[in-house]
Amino acid sequence: MSTRPNWFGRGWLAAGYFFLYIPIVLLIVFSFNESRQDVVWRGFTLNWYRALIDDKEIIEGAILSLKIAFLTGILSVILGTFAAFVLVRYKRFLGRTAFSGMVNAPLVMPEVIVGLSLLLLLVSLQNTAAFSWLNRGMFTILIGHALLGMAYATVVVQSRLQEMDRSIEEAAMDLGCRPGQVFFLVTLPNITQALMSAFLLTFTISLDDVVISQLLSGPGSSTMPIVIFSRARLGLDPRVNAVATITIVVVTIAVIASSLYLARSERRRQKEISAAFSAEAAS
Amino acid sequence: MKLFSFRALADVAWGVALAASCGIALAQEEPKVLNVYNWSDYIAEDTLKNFEKETGIKVRYDNFDSNEILHAKLVAGKTGYDIVVPSSNWAKIQIDGGLLAKLDKALIPNLANVDAETAGQIAKLDPGNQHLVVWLWGYTTVGINVDKVKAALGSMPMPDNAWDLVFKPEYISKMKSCGVSFLDSPSEIFPAALHYLGKPAFSKQTSDYQEASRMLQAIRPYVTLFSSSGYINDMANGSICLALGWSGDISIARQRAIDGKTGNKIEVLIPKTGGILFFDTMAIPVDAPHPKNAHAFINYILKPEVHASLTNKVFYANPNAQSTKFVKKEVAENPTVFLSAENKKKMIAPDAVNNDIRRLSTRLYTQFKTGL
Amino acid sequence: MNKLLARLMPNNPGRAVVIGVPYLWLVLFFLLPFLIVLKISVSEMNVGQPPFKPLTEMVDNFLNIRVYLGNFISLFDVANDDLYARTYLSSLKYAAWTTIFCLVIGFPFAYFMARARPTIRPALLMLVMMPFWTSFLLRVYAWKAILTTNGVFNQILIGLGIIGEPLHMLHTPFSLMIGMVYVYLPFMILPLYANLVKLDGRLLEAAADLGATPWQRFWLVTVPLSKSGIIAGSMLVFIPCVGEFVIPELLGGPETLMIGRVLWDELFSNNDWPRAAAVAVVTILLIIVPLAIFNKYQAESQGERT
Repeated sequence: MSTRPNWFGRGWLAAGYFFLYIPIVLLIVFSFNESRQDVVWRGFTLNWYRALIDDKEIIEGAILSLKIAFLTGILSVILGTFAAFVLVRYKRFLGRTAFSGMVNAPLVMPEVIVGLSLLLLLVSLQNTAAFSWLNRGMFTILIGHALLGMAYATVVVQSRLQEMDRSIEEAAMDLGCRPGQVFFLVTLPNITQALMSAFLLTFTISLDDVVISQLLSGPGSSTMPIVIFSRARLGLDPRVNAVATITIVVVTIAVIASSLYLARSERRRQKEISAAFSAEAAS
Repeated sequence: MKLFSFRALADVAWGVALAASCGIALAQEEPKVLNVYNWSDYIAEDTLKNFEKETGIKVRYDNFDSNEILHAKLVAGKTGYDIVVPSSNWAKIQIDGGLLAKLDKALIPNLANVDAETAGQIAKLDPGNQHLVVWLWGYTTVGINVDKVKAALGSMPMPDNAWDLVFKPEYISKMKSCGVSFLDSPSEIFPAALHYLGKPAFSKQTSDYQEASRMLQAIRPYVTLFSSSGYINDMANGSICLALGWSGDISIARQRAIDGKTGNKIEVLIPKTGGILFFDTMAIPVDAPHPKNAHAFINYILKPEVHASLTNKVFYANPNAQSTKFVKKEVAENPTVFLSAENKKKMIAPDAVNNDIRRLSTRLYTQFKTGL
Repeated sequence: MNKLLARLMPNNPGRAVVIGVPYLWLVLFFLLPFLIVLKISVSEMNVGQPPFKPLTEMVDNFLNIRVYLGNFISLFDVANDDLYARTYLSSLKYAAWTTIFCLVIGFPFAYFMARARPTIRPALLMLVMMPFWTSFLLRVYAWKAILTTNGVFNQILIGLGIIGEPLHMLHTPFSLMIGMVYVYLPFMILPLYANLVKLDGRLLEAAADLGATPWQRFWLVTVPLSKSGIIAGSMLVFIPCVGEFVIPELLGGPETLMIGRVLWDELFSNNDWPRAAAVAVVTILLIIVPLAIFNKYQAESQGERT
C-alpha cells in the first residue's frame, strides 16, 4: 500500500499502546515495591514473591482458574466448531433461526444475567430428585464460562470457515474420502489457526470472569478473581501483583512460542505446497 | 423371558445391597471433609492448619464479603457449605426461613466456654441458642485519624458524642478535605443513622426511615468514599481521616499505620450513646453435607486458645470466657476491643427487619448515595 | 413424528450429531435458564426458599396459572419511582459514550495498524491482544492505583509542577470512562483492523487521482468501506457496556448508577428474585430489539445488493 503511517500515525499508535500497557507496567513494577499499602515507591524487594509460596489460598485459586480456563477453552472450541460448522454448512434444518439466535445470544447478554439465569437453572435442577446430587462448584462454573466461550468461539471459527476454499474438500470427496475423513484431514488443518485463537480468547474470558464465577461457585471453588475480590477488603497487597507478573511472563512466553510455531508450520506448509506444485510441473 | 426376569431380580438385589452398604457407611462416618464459608480475612493463619492436624478433617475455606451474598446463596439452597458465618440479625431471618439447622449441643462440649452475657444477647434473636454460636463480635462506630481530624476541626472542640462527627453537618463538612468514608451498605448505615436520631436502630416504622434519609441527604456532599472494603488501607495511609466503619477494621488500620510507620494516629471512638453491636455467628445450613464435622469445627473454635488467636489477629472480641489469658496483652488491654462493662451497656443490640423495610432502606440508601 | 425425525436427521447420522450436540447444549444451558428467568419475572416474591411463589397451583382440581405483572409494572411506574427508568437511561448513556470514545481512539489506531508494513502487522496485532492475557480485575485495580489521590498520575503532575494540589479523579465519571474505554478498546480495534486491512488501496489511489484531498478520501472512501467493521466494533463495545458491573463498582463514583448494580441490589440486598428477573428481562429486550431491527435492516440491504 502506498501510504505508510506518518509521524502522526506513529504517534497515535504509540499513544494507544502506552494507554493499553501503562497499568500492566505499573502492576509489574509494584510487585517489587517494599511498601504494602500505598502506591508510592519505597524500594526494591522480592519478598512478595517469597510470601507467595506460603499463600495456599492464592496459589490454589490460580491453579483452579487455570484449570477451568483450560477446560473452558477446549469445550468452547469443540462446541463452537460444531456450531460454526452447522451455521456455515447446513443452510436448512429445523429450527435454524432459533439455533443461530441462541448461539449469538450470550454475546449480547450482560454477564450478570447469564450467571443469574444459570444459577436459577441449577437451583431448580438441584431441587428435583434426579439432580439432587449436583453440587455447585468447578463444574458449574465451567458450564457458565463455556456457554459464553462457545458464542465467542463460534464467531471466530465461523468467519474462518466462510473464507475457506471448499474446492479442496470437494476434491478430497472426489478422491473417495468419507465426510468424517474430509473433516479431520482437510477442514480441520485449514482452520487450525482460527481454533487456536478461539482457544486463547475463550481461555482469557474464563480466566477474567468474576461475576459468573461468583454466582455459580460452591465449596472449594474460589477462583483467582474471587480470591482477589474478597481480599480487597483488607486492601490488596503486592502478592497479587506478584501472581499477575508471573502469569504475564508465562503467558507471554507461551504466546510467543505458539505464534513462532504457527508461523513456522505455516511456512513449512507453503513450502510443501510449492514443492508439490513444482514436482507436478516437472513431471 | 426367564433369563430376563432373573437378571432384573439380580439387578434389584445388587441395587439394594449397594444402597444398604452406602447407607450404613453414611450413618457411620462422614467423609473427612468440611466446607466453610466465612467473611474474608477473619481468621488466624494457623487455625485451619491446626484443625486439620487435630481432627484429620480437610477444610475447604471460601470467603464472602457481605451478608447479602451469603443470604442469597443460602436462599438459593444447596450451597454445599457446612459452616456459614452470618451476622446475628441476618441469621434470625435465616432461622425463621428454616435455612439453618439446630445444633446438637452434646457434640459441642466447649459451649460451656461461651460467656453468659453474649449467649444472652444472641438468645434474643435465637431463643435457647439453638442455632448460633458467636465467632467474633464488634460494633459499627466512628474511626478517626486523630491529628488530621483535630487540624480539620481547628478551633472547634471534639464533639461529646462521636456520632456527631459523621452525622452533624457542621462537623462532617470540615472533614471533607481530608476524606470521609462510609460503609457501603444500607443495613449498616440506617441503624446508625436511626440510632443517632433517637429512634430504635432497627425500627419497623417507615416514617423513621424517611426521617433518617432526610438527615443523610444533608451530609451526603461531605462523604467522599463509600466502601466496606478499601477504607482500612485508606485510613492507614492517611487518605481518609474519618470513617463510619467496623471497630476491628479500624483497629487493623491503626496497627497497619503503626507497623508501616506512616505517622498516622488512628483511633476507634466509642460514641457516648453507644455503637451498633454485631455478632458474627457460626451456623450449620439445613442441607449441610457434613454436619458432624461442622459440630467438630464449632467445638474446636470454642477452645480458649483458638478463639484467642482469632482475636489477636483481627482485633474483634470473642465470646470465650476462658480465652482472656491467651489474648495478647496489647489487644486484651485495648478498651475498644474488649469493652468495659459500662461501655458494653451502652451498645445497641442487633435485630432483624422484615422484607418491606429492607426494600425501603435499600431504596433510600440508593437515593442517599446516588441522588436518584 | 417420523416425518419430523426424518427432517431432523435426513439420511446422515453424522449431520444429526453435528447439529444435535451444540443444539442440545444451547437448549439446556441457554434456553431453559432463560425460560426460568421469564417464569420467575412473572412470579410473586416469597420469603424463604425458594424466594418466589409458584406460578401454577391446583385449586379444586383445576390448574391455576397466575401471572403476576407487578414486577414489570413497578419498573415502568415512573410516577411512583423513576429509579429504574433513570438507571436504564444512564446505563445506555455511559455505554454510548464508551462506544464513541473507543471509536474515536480506535479507528485511527486500527487504520494506522492496517497501513503499517505487512511484516510488523502481526506483532502490532499481538500487542493489542496481549493485555487480555493479564487479569482484567488486576488491570482495573491498577487504574485505581494510577488515579487515586496520592496515586501515580497525581505524583507525576505534582512532580512536574503542573498542579499544586492533587486532583480528585478516582470514583468520578472520568475514572469510570477511563476504565470502560481501557477494557473495551481492543474489542473496537480488532474488528476494525480486520476490516481495514482488507481495504483495497487502489480505491484510495483512484480517489486521489480524481483530485480528492486526504480528508475527502478518508470520509468518502475509507469510512463507507469500513462501515461493517465500525458497526461490529460498536456492537461489541456497546452491548457488554450496558450491563457492565465490575468496572462501575471499582472505578465509578457513588452517583454513577448502572443497571448491573440495580440488578445486583435487587438480587442480593432485597433478595427479590422476581424483580431482579424482571430487570434482567427488560435489559435483554433493550439490547435485543435494536439488534434485531438492525439485523433485519442489514439483511435487507444485503439482499438488495446481490
